[in-house]
Amino acid sequence: MTQPVTIIMIEDDEGHARLIERNIRRSGVNNEIVPFGNGTDAMKHLFGADGSGLVQKGNALLILLDLNLPDMSGIDILRQIKENKYLKASPVVVLTTTDDSQEIKRCYELGCNVYITKPVNYENFANAIRQLGLFFSVIQVPPAAT
Amino acid sequence: MLTAISAGSVYLVNKARDDNKWVVHTIEVENQVNSLLLEVRRAESGARGYLLTRGDEFRADHEKAVAAIPPALDKLARQIGDNPEQRNSMARLRAAVDTRLEQFSREMDFVSRNEPDKATALVREAAAGDTTTTIRDTAEAMMREEERLFAQRTLNADRSQTLAASLTGIGSGLVVVLALISILLVRRSAQMRDEAEARLRDANLNLESTVDERTADLREANDEIQRFAYIVSHDLRSPLVNIMGFTSELEEMGGDIFRRIGSLTHIPAGGSPVAAADIGDIPLEEPDKQLSQDFSEALGFIKSSIAKMDRLISAILNLTREGRREFEPVRIDMRELMEAIASTVAHQASEANAEIRIGELPDITSDRLALEQIFSNLIDNAVKYLKSGEPGEITVRGRTKLGYAIYEVADNGRGIDAKDHQRIFDLFRRAGTQDRPGQGIGLAHVRALVRRLGGTMSVSSELNQGSTFTITLPIHWTASKRTGDR
Repeated sequence: MTQPVTIIMIEDDEGHARLIERNIRRSGVNNEIVPFGNGTDAMKHLFGADGSGLVQKGNALLILLDLNLPDMSGIDILRQIKENKYLKASPVVVLTTTDDSQEIKRCYELGCNVYITKPVNYENFANAIRQLGLFFSVIQVPPAAT
Repeated sequence: MLTAISAGSVYLVNKARDDNKWVVHTIEVENQVNSLLLEVRRAESGARGYLLTRGDEFRADHEKAVAAIPPALDKLARQIGDNPEQRNSMARLRAAVDTRLEQFSREMDFVSRNEPDKATALVREAAAGDTTTTIRDTAEAMMREEERLFAQRTLNADRSQTLAASLTGIGSGLVVVLALISILLVRRSAQMRDEAEARLRDANLNLESTVDERTADLREANDEIQRFAYIVSHDLRSPLVNIMGFTSELEEMGGDIFRRIGSLTHIPAGGSPVAAADIGDIPLEEPDKQLSQDFSEALGFIKSSIAKMDRLISAILNLTREGRREFEPVRIDMRELMEAIASTVAHQASEANAEIRIGELPDITSDRLALEQIFSNLIDNAVKYLKSGEPGEITVRGRTKLGYAIYEVADNGRGIDAKDHQRIFDLFRRAGTQDRPGQGIGLAHVRALVRRLGGTMSVSSELNQGSTFTITLPIHWTASKRTGDR
């Protein structure tokens, strides 16, 4: 990787965030993880104060997104990311409890790159995250400005 | 009242007729009196003529008149028989007339015996005597009396007629008034009926709109429940992921901790403690071993409970999802569908030594997936709950009745106690010996599906006697019937 990829984790449940982080680390991924507990803070970080997304220019990002957030819908965040010219190339991994086929379809239509359902079964959960970590370690992420 | 008036009228008219009859009677009496007098005069003049001329024609005339007198008298007597006063006059008249007749006969005798002088004297005597006068006076008295009666009776008759006329007039007036009142009443009742009809119509319209409103409310409530169930089950999952995740983490940590304890307590003689990673199989001391087992057991219960809760939540989620699915009515070959289901459970069936027989089945128009779920659940249950050690017999048969297809899935399995017949259709409820895996969802799901397809289902069963599940579905189901019910 020419440039260290920053993982932006938008997840309101601290427990989930912790479990995700742990399992990513266990898979050997040591990239920086920036966690956000709600949509507003995440949006501010991603799009900057002016909302243009210019602040992320040149940064390589990988976004982990939960759909059920207290202040806004993850789908909205996904749409805005994919509509922003600086951010649209950044891969977005939707990681959520919803396994509704309509929802999954909608996310892919909006440009989500990977959709993962959080299984209650921890083995499966840990496996999914670790595989995601492996995926992270091989994935090529372009810088945000294109 | 009208009857009374009619009766009165009839009575009065009769009375007027009577009165008129009496008037006529009076006139007849007068006539009779006059004719009697005339006959007496004729007799007299005949007698005189005979006396003067000795003409036989006078004699004949006289005799005819005399002969006419007694009948006339009798007739008069009959006619005035009702009036005592006239009867007195009549007696006098009769006496006078008799006297006069006797005189006549004497006169005629004298004349015929050629003694005209005596006859003449007799005539003179008779003329001077009061017999003729009496006859005349009495007759006049009778005439007066009759005139009086005539006047009175005319008056009576007039009064009766007037009364009858006025009564008839009053009657007619009353009839008119009553008719008017009737018309008014009829019109009023018609008006009231119209108003009532209008109200009824309004009420009907209101009822319809009320029903529509309620239906809309119910649909909304139903949707609300679906959303609620979805959100609740969905949101319950999120903390469950944490509980499960950290429990697993704890489990792992527990393993680490006890390994560490093991390594600390098992210090090889004369050496430093070995690295924790290399001592996985170091046996723990007895109290520590007990602790470790308790720890694992507690975590095991937590994990199995979480797993169960997850299954329940998933079931609810699936049910709500099923409730949101659009049904699509298509023509279905039921035999083919049943055979497909039977082949999927063929393995379990042969293991349970069971045979699935498919009888005559009517084809219907309905949702294929829903029907597959309904019958695979029922057949699956039938295979699952057979009596152990007895070959199973599962029969699927059908018939049609009044636009509905009735399907029966019957088995010779362990049966269901009557008190559980309702319970088995409730979500998460099961009946009988709990020796088979299951969540208690199948029948609840089946019933929900049958209801959505516009049908009903029931069970008839006895413990140890097998069960028969009966499904009644419309032959031509159209989704539009319950489009809003999702």
